[in-house]
Amino acid sequence: MNGYAGKILRINLSTRERSTLDTKDYEQWGGGHGIGSAIFFDLVKDKSIDGFDPANVVTIMTSPLTGTMALGASARTELQGIGVQSYPIGWFTRSGLGGRFGVMLKLAGWDGVAIEGKADQPVWIDIRDGDVQIRDCNELTLWGKDTWESQKAIWNYVAGSGHYGTWYNPRSGSDARTTQQPAVLCIGPAGENLCRVASIIHDAGNASGQGGFGGVWGSKNLKAISVIGTGNIAVAHPKALFEARIWAIENFTFPLNTFDASKAMWATMPSNLRSFPSPLVTWERPKQSRPQACMGCQAGCRSRYNPPLGNDSSCKESYYYSPSQLKVPPSGETPDPQKQAADLAQKYGINVAELETGILYLRDLYKMGVLGQGKQIDCDLPFDKLGGNEFIEQLMEMIAYRKGIGDDMAEGFTRAAERWGRLDEDQKTGLLNNCYWGLGMHYDPRGSLEWGYGSILGDRDINEHGFSPLAMIPTLTSEKPVSAEDFVKIFSEKMPPFEDDPLMLDYSDGNMYSEHMCKLVAWHRHYSRFWIQSALFCDFQYPDFFNWAAKDYKGITGEGEPKFYHAVTGKNLSFAESIELGRKIWTLDNAIWTLQGRHRDMVQFADYIYDKLNTVKFVMPVNENGQWVYNPVGGRLIDRAQFEEFKTRYYTLEGWDTESGWPKRSTLEALGLKSVADELESKEKLGKE
Amino acid sequence: MDDKTERKKTERAGLAISRREFLKYSGIVVIGVGFGGCGNPNGVAASKGYLLVDTKKCQGCQTCMLACSLVHEGFESLSLARIQIVQNPFNTFPDDINIAQCRQCVAPACLAACPVGALHVDKFHGNVRTVNKRKCIGCKSCITACPFAPARPIWNFQEVYAQKCDLCASSVFWNEQGGPGGKQACVTVCPMKAIQFTAEIPVQLGDEGYNVNLRDKTWGLLGYTTE
Ligand code: SF4
Repeated sequence: MNGYAGKILRINLSTRERSTLDTKDYEQWGGGHGIGSAIFFDLVKDKSIDGFDPANVVTIMTSPLTGTMALGASARTELQGIGVQSYPIGWFTRSGLGGRFGVMLKLAGWDGVAIEGKADQPVWIDIRDGDVQIRDCNELTLWGKDTWESQKAIWNYVAGSGHYGTWYNPRSGSDARTTQQPAVLCIGPAGENLCRVASIIHDAGNASGQGGFGGVWGSKNLKAISVIGTGNIAVAHPKALFEARIWAIENFTFPLNTFDASKAMWATMPSNLRSFPSPLVTWERPKQSRPQACMGCQAGCRSRYNPPLGNDSSCKESYYYSPSQLKVPPSGETPDPQKQAADLAQKYGINVAELETGILYLRDLYKMGVLGQGKQIDCDLPFDKLGGNEFIEQLMEMIAYRKGIGDDMAEGFTRAAERWGRLDEDQKTGLLNNCYWGLGMHYDPRGSLEWGYGSILGDRDINEHGFSPLAMIPTLTSEKPVSAEDFVKIFSEKMPPFEDDPLMLDYSDGNMYSEHMCKLVAWHRHYSRFWIQSALFCDFQYPDFFNWAAKDYKGITGEGEPKFYHAVTGKNLSFAESIELGRKIWTLDNAIWTLQGRHRDMVQFADYIYDKLNTVKFVMPVNENGQWVYNPVGGRLIDRAQFEEFKTRYYTLEGWDTESGWPKRSTLEALGLKSVADELESKEKLGKE
Repeated sequence: MDDKTERKKTERAGLAISRREFLKYSGIVVIGVGFGGCGNPNGVAASKGYLLVDTKKCQGCQTCMLACSLVHEGFESLSLARIQIVQNPFNTFPDDINIAQCRQCVAPACLAACPVGALHVDKFHGNVRTVNKRKCIGCKSCITACPFAPARPIWNFQEVYAQKCDLCASSVFWNEQGGPGGKQACVTVCPMKAIQFTAEIPVQLGDEGYNVNLRDKTWGLLGYTTE
């Protein structure tokens, strides 16, 4: 398949053996996540192992579109394996990151990497085109260094006597040259100390956070993977690719020079093809800065600054320690603690999504007199300095090096609460705001149904913003651009095979558990599994349904994705076929969770989601007596019994056993997954017909 | 370059020169280099097109590099891109990004250094400085002679010849007409409009003529410096 180099690097750290997998054997999965799941399925014989088990396999996959001009699909890399963060079981999970790692990997001739085993001492992997070396960390004293210092040390090592920014030969004895630094994935002290909340960092601010893969790497004694590539990425139809990009820019984005403040907000919101390079940061941005983008992106969502604080950080990194999040007055300190906190998370390699709810939990326990110096949960964090540098520096150090109660927090706040004997109580009250699989609430399941259901039916906070505009646009516009009916239609008509059922987008209280709602959740899972996680289109830009720059507000989704896929790979994959492929990948993932021990009884939100009303209300399209109107939605909870009915309907729609939630043979075989059915059967985990 | 490679190159170029002859030729072409004016005492016609960049406006997406290799080679490559973006995410703005585009020098040292006239002024395409790959013997003299870092002539190590920015005159994998009279892929795709084409000869001394301020009012409205 064009776009791919044809081989995947397989490394066994225990034996230090390097071999290759043939990409062709996995091509049917289309790329990225699909291939990663299939490789995992093949290589991990016992899927019930723990994430820290050396037999756990971590895959790092690119897409055929990685490193090409396909708009919004050039830069992302997909990591998978058994995670260690979710609770009560570390599910087989995923976490993607942007930047340029995947591009370099493909230019080096590799479509992905599969890591297994455990090195006998800390190592890093040095990939220079086809030359792959497993090097001990000693020479560069990498183990113990933070992620930024580690990357710089590796850069210096790979450059040899050369200099970045001039031409140098990364492989001695070869004339192949580049001006670029290697792209490095790297863990920091948190990963080295097997924190379940440890991330993997690339450049200044690209992070694979969810799942705790940083800790998994630490358990494998793997500090970093560095790759420099000087090769090529084949494109089936170069002219068509160029034209597709220009078509997408001209028809679906605002020209940079026609800045209109009222439109600019929409043009930078997820999910919408981004038009303006406006970083998603909550701190004040100094004028002395630039936007910074992942490879091939048309509108960067982060910045570089003078002084260089907060470089390449955005979104959650920028607000998890903000005064508005913490509800404290600005500290006025220099350097700005908010930016300092972002940089510390990147350097230590700690997942900020965990800290976002975790710090508030600590604060509340402190206020309750339960946590603090000499208290039941004894710690000397300076809560009077919350919002300042001293607090965040101490907290980060405690977690990364497992100091004091940092040893508990390194397990993730859900496990920490369990250790402190507080989990049941704090999940009932919602004091610990971790609602799906022990992970912090992102969008509220009681309001953002597709988000909540998608997360609990899967393995993690889905972090997919595809349907967020359904709430954001009506909520934030006083004058609605189109009627509620037309608004819904713009979305639903791009959702095969359910395009004839707009009721799936009805978020009203009466529709929360319906068959229609099942279709929305299923479509979202299937679309994302293929286009976002396998073809690796950026979630901040796709799916693009309602688009302010497009004719009749109809976004690029449905037409754009297959157009780019075809231009690069040469494959005619229809949009409907791609959604079906996404279903196949999603079902394979469910088979893996099943083999890990999942049963429908475990698929439950934290108690407070059933017992407490949410407070946030969004204006959304709802269907009232056959009429579409915009109404506030929220102030509700999820009903336990009706959620059970929803699960039954959902499993039925997916062809999974309604009693257990396990995939059925008939479904698996219809998807071409007979061997998966066989393995489930051999483990007595096959769903009943 | 080893002998085998050299032989391959010379054979392909239809040149039957030996290493000794090659060395002899390498001293023949002498054109004055290093002056800062617009005229050229040695009579090499000035290019009718130049690329200007704004390194403060660049977002480091490297789309220009992907576009360059795509339209020229038909595949994606960073090493063969004729415009190079180098960046360091840990550095301070604006020193974190450098754009290295060919300057189409009025007095091109690369052209002067080429022993076989492969690197030449293309009269059919607005006098752009370009490489005739059939003539190139792969000696890398042009690359060594380029006074800028990274060198603007690109060493195509895969096919063993030099190539350089021709303002897209030879963009065979593109439906647009390139060259000084046409379009340039990097200018066309740069999402930040941080690359601009001009027919006017930039000031040759230093960087100011080529690294210019392309930040308009919109840029200021987005919250970035326009100075
Ligand atoms: S395309 Fe433009 S913004 Fe992107 S790297 Fe090139 S010059 Fe910079």
